[in-house]
Amino acid sequence: MRTATKLLIGLSVFGVTVGTVYWFVTYEWTGSVLLWSFSLTPLIVALFALKHGWMRAAEPEDDPSASSATLAGEDLGAFPTATAWPEFLVLGVIATGASLIYGLIMLVVGVPLLAWAVIGLARESRS
Amino acid sequence: MTTTAGRVVPSPEPAPPAHRLGPVERLTSTDHKNIGVLYCVTAFLFFLVGGALAGVIRLELAEPGRILANETYNGLFTIHGTVMIFLFVAPFGAGLANYFVPLQIGAPDMAFPRLNLLSYWFFAGGGALILLSGFASAGGGAAMGWTAYPPLSGLAHSPGVGPDLWILGLAMVAVSSLMTAVNLLTTVFLMRTAAMTMWRLPIFTWNMVVVAILGLVAFPPAVAGLSLLLIDRRLGGHAFDPLGGGDPAIYQHLFWFLGHPEVYILILPFFGVITEIIPVFSRKPLFGYTGFVMATVAIGALSVGVWAHHMFVTGVVDNPFFAAMTLLIAVPTGVKFFNWTGSMWGGRIWFTTPMLFAIGFLLNFLIGGVTGILLAAPALDYQLSDSYFVVAHFHYTMVGGAVFGIFAAIYFWFPKVTGAMLREKLGRIVFGLLFVGFNVTFWPQFVLGQRGLPRRYVDYPPDVGFDAPNLVSSLGYVVMAAGVIAFLVDVWISLRTRVPAGDDPWGGYSLEWATTSPPPEQNFVSMPPIRSERPAFDLRHPEARP
Repeated sequence: MRTATKLLIGLSVFGVTVGTVYWFVTYEWTGSVLLWSFSLTPLIVALFALKHGWMRAAEPEDDPSASSATLAGEDLGAFPTATAWPEFLVLGVIATGASLIYGLIMLVVGVPLLAWAVIGLARESRS
Repeated sequence: MTTTAGRVVPSPEPAPPAHRLGPVERLTSTDHKNIGVLYCVTAFLFFLVGGALAGVIRLELAEPGRILANETYNGLFTIHGTVMIFLFVAPFGAGLANYFVPLQIGAPDMAFPRLNLLSYWFFAGGGALILLSGFASAGGGAAMGWTAYPPLSGLAHSPGVGPDLWILGLAMVAVSSLMTAVNLLTTVFLMRTAAMTMWRLPIFTWNMVVVAILGLVAFPPAVAGLSLLLIDRRLGGHAFDPLGGGDPAIYQHLFWFLGHPEVYILILPFFGVITEIIPVFSRKPLFGYTGFVMATVAIGALSVGVWAHHMFVTGVVDNPFFAAMTLLIAVPTGVKFFNWTGSMWGGRIWFTTPMLFAIGFLLNFLIGGVTGILLAAPALDYQLSDSYFVVAHFHYTMVGGAVFGIFAAIYFWFPKVTGAMLREKLGRIVFGLLFVGFNVTFWPQFVLGQRGLPRRYVDYPPDVGFDAPNLVSSLGYVVMAAGVIAFLVDVWISLRTRVPAGDDPWGGYSLEWATTSPPPEQNFVSMPPIRSERPAFDLRHPEARP
């Protein structure tokens, strides 16, 4: 994670620097806020990495001399093999979004479908 | 349904044959390889639609005179642009990343398989809405250009429901891209196999890391802009309405803050693809691995600071700032060209179809890049803005670059995905038709732009220098279309009468070539040791291992 964290912090510093230079060159708000916001996204991920990765001892994936036997058999958790909930969720999103275009009547279809799919997806991911 | 995933325990047993998926399984399986194939096939279908629309546009423009109504023509180029950018090139890159990034880093799957499938369905659903917006909407389709600038995209000038469906569809595609970005970053940062350090990542994977970060940064402002546009249209908002205190230039800022990084979101995956291909077929390691990675990161970072070079002629942006930032991008891009030519220099070059497409990419993209430098100069941009010169420049980067990269990727990785080879002779014919057809189509458009033909015009006056270049350009389209048909024939023949590819037909370098073709469930039966950025090469040549 160290290289990744450094990359993210570097991008964040670049965003702050360019945003600040842009502000003093132009005094234009929209672009300045966009550039400062550019620095925020990698910073959020970097802070997460700093909390969870940076302080840990070097992981096998960061150790250039580690062998594949180091990680052999490591449990990566339960992975789903199939799910149909995303299809229903997207149909729900489309129907709900279409209420802005075709009228609130679309919510009658969209909201229950969306709620059903979100609950189904959440329950499936816990099983 | 779930399965437990773990790191590979070395096994002397051969990999079990890959399970053939039925239609329902194909649409619901969360295996990253299946989702990658779904992305690529869907994106290619969108390409065929977008290409057919381009054919109608070229038919209209082949000679002076009118075949189409104004609104029909406007709708055609709106949907053509949207489909090609957001539904073909970008998702094809996402599809390749889905399939190959876990393989290249030695992971059994993507970090969030359900989110991965959800991303695909957001893309497919959004894409369907975008197509509907052009052709099946009451009261008028989306016909405001793929940039949808207000006030043209406002309710007064685009009153039908088409633009609303277009906005909703594009917002869904943007959300899909965000979910894919989160998934890719988590996968690469946390699921690499032992000794696969960041400085040993294959270049394709490195490029996808930068693309994912760009996506996280650039898509949210665009979704905000699209949402405000929809609120203006349907809920009486005034965000972009000057009479209500709004400012249409803010939409341009929000759109192009996505729009220009989007150019690199589109092209960087294929920079990665040809960087996988060129060293393999030059029989050399990549020249300047570290410099290449740094150049990719520099391109990604700088691309966020150049959005307003699309707004030079608005008069509301600081032209020198954006001109300087844009010119700076030429430096890391130039570094990449040194890397590519340096990798070929002195190598035993094997001119296979993937390599031909990679070389075609270099030649075309060089022209696209150099003309981009011309457009980065505000004085020239004022003359050329909104002319066919811009159309030609853009297509040299996106078709000559990204689409050639897509064909290079297909010919390179088809054996890994299907276990069968594409036909080499037919592949060379495909390359020849596409390369000649592409240049015959788009080179004359530079001439048209210099002569002053504006883009997005349905007709032009005869005998003022626009006739011949337009006719040549339309004939070039026919040659390109023949190339695409030949490609489809190649795929059909190769899948019907399979020539087994073996696990590593090219002598590849990265980890996907160290597993079976197609790869088994959870990708690997045994994991080779990772000692450099070329683990598959190290496996074949233990004597050369560092």
